[in-house]
Amino acid sequence: MEAWRLALSSSIRGKLISAGYTSLSSISSVSSSDLARDANITEDEAFEILKLANQSSGSNSCNGNRSLINGAKNAWDMLHEEESLPRITTSCSDLDNILGGGISCRDVTEIGGVPGIGKTQIGIQLSVNVQIPREFGGLGGKAIYIDTEGSFMVERALQIAEACVEDMEEYTGYMHKHFKANQVQMKPKDILENIFYFRVCSYTEQIALVNHLDKFISENKDVKVVIVDSITFHFRQDFDDLVQRTRVLSEMALKFMKLAKKFSLAVVLLNQVTTKYTEGSFQLALALGDSWSHSCTNRVILYWNGDERYAYIDKSPSLPSASASYTVTSRGLRNSSSSSKRVKMM
Amino acid sequence: MKPETLLRRPQTNRKLTTGCKILDGCLRGGIPCYSLTEIVAESGCGKTQLCLQLSLCAQLPISLGGLNGSSLYLHSEFPFPFRRLHQLSRSFHQSNPSIYANDNDNPCDHVFVQNVHSVDHLFDIMPRIDGFIKNSGNRLPLKLIVLDSVAALFRSEFDNTPSDLKKRSSMFFKLSGKLKQLANKFGLAVVITNQVTDLVETSDGLSGLRIGNLRFLCSSGRRVVPALGLAWSNCVNSRFFISRSDETIWKERSENDESGSSYVSRRAQRRFDIVFSPYLPVTSCEFMITREGICGVQA
Repeated sequence: MEAWRLALSSSIRGKLISAGYTSLSSISSVSSSDLARDANITEDEAFEILKLANQSSGSNSCNGNRSLINGAKNAWDMLHEEESLPRITTSCSDLDNILGGGISCRDVTEIGGVPGIGKTQIGIQLSVNVQIPREFGGLGGKAIYIDTEGSFMVERALQIAEACVEDMEEYTGYMHKHFKANQVQMKPKDILENIFYFRVCSYTEQIALVNHLDKFISENKDVKVVIVDSITFHFRQDFDDLVQRTRVLSEMALKFMKLAKKFSLAVVLLNQVTTKYTEGSFQLALALGDSWSHSCTNRVILYWNGDERYAYIDKSPSLPSASASYTVTSRGLRNSSSSSKRVKMM
Repeated sequence: MKPETLLRRPQTNRKLTTGCKILDGCLRGGIPCYSLTEIVAESGCGKTQLCLQLSLCAQLPISLGGLNGSSLYLHSEFPFPFRRLHQLSRSFHQSNPSIYANDNDNPCDHVFVQNVHSVDHLFDIMPRIDGFIKNSGNRLPLKLIVLDSVAALFRSEFDNTPSDLKKRSSMFFKLSGKLKQLANKFGLAVVITNQVTDLVETSDGLSGLRIGNLRFLCSSGRRVVPALGLAWSNCVNSRFFISRSDETIWKERSENDESGSSYVSRRAQRRFDIVFSPYLPVTSCEFMITREGICGVQA
């Protein structure tokens, strides 16, 4: 398609053609500032031209010379999208703060730590918190919990669900003091019903389940978080050939990333720690090796500092490295310094 | 692939009572089913006593906190305390007359003992255990497996070289995976005991690594760490620690002497701590070992 077909004023058209932009494909592959500079027009005009060009090229049949890849978005649109994405709160406001508001959807977050630090507790808390209705600032979604170790205890999940409902009721009582209290519709039983719990007992089961997740989530579109507790257990045995293990793990990681992007859900992978000999001494490192560390978008490490539990952002494309303390109480994850029982809702 | 309906499972996992109300209070009912529980202690602290008591309690009906099943005791340390088991079983029979119809019923009939001398031997036995559970016939179904102790299985076979340690690590996960598979398939409670090693602080080691609620574990006045290291700690669902501290002297009245004379006896104070667990808060309690078994001491 030729540039002179665009609905522009003749002076601008003339400038475009004399600058060398004769076909639509050449216009659509350039940025507005470059176009403005080359054709000697203002940026706003260049932007208008690009919009027109994209609209026209969209309605025409495919031009083989198009250098623009189908589906590419500009970063501005992506920024708007990311800012409007909801986040899943961890019920601990200090932890939420270093995470930028909570666990982000569309990302794969890896959380690892020593036994007993609270990984399963975070997993259960997230599977309950994802169900907080939108009126309370949550996502109103469902959760998939893949248990490879057998640490998920229904009574603990029920305890955390009851505490969540109590907090929501307290919040409505607080916010709507002068109005009739908006009864919280959710009951702890409903919260348990919305957690899809899978128990896998071998690595083949784990791989089969991950492959099946695409179909499962297509049928259950309101799933907003997939938690795997833990991702490593079945992979630390029986793999004599580490190359094969790395290959299997990277395939699995890729599937999780695709799931996260396709369905806009959060994937949380819980990992164990192991010791690594670096720089002449033994250090703690997350299990599954160096190649696995590239498979997740964000990485959080849990550790003990004195008598307190801390979380540290080890890897993130957008968050600064920071650490925050948290405690595990009978009601779930909470701030360690706060003595108030009221949970901050977004 | 269908997800499990969480609500169809009972709201609390079935628990096996320890036979002592105070310990059960700490554990919110007892040892949970569908999960692997580890008991770490120095030798002579009472872990075998607790395991023997659990094997007998498994036969209790569910209303009394048992599992209405038999138990399998895999022991790797010699010798197996048969005499103590008989002693406990006699007092168990006496304290539960409603269950045992006649005097010939022996609670020991429902405790199966098997010796394991190496890890490979244990893996060889696994299919037989599977068959044993499935074909229970007219005896009580197997509901508890005790492995006493896992440390003895591993400590002698592997050298300290990196390749052997890696092989050992991989064995941990394989063993734990198989036991968890059994626990999940048949709803068993699995109890594993572990030994301790002394902690020697070195500047380049991670032996002082903190795992769990307690800042450090102390027994008989010295710092200890559970044997088998960080890799094994990742394999169990819960870990409990039994420790003993210096003996105290108790003044006790002689039973049949009314004149008021008393004698002194030395008793070791034993403590039960929860190191980590997926559902229990940090608690601890004290207990004693008597002829009838383990009984807790009110704080």
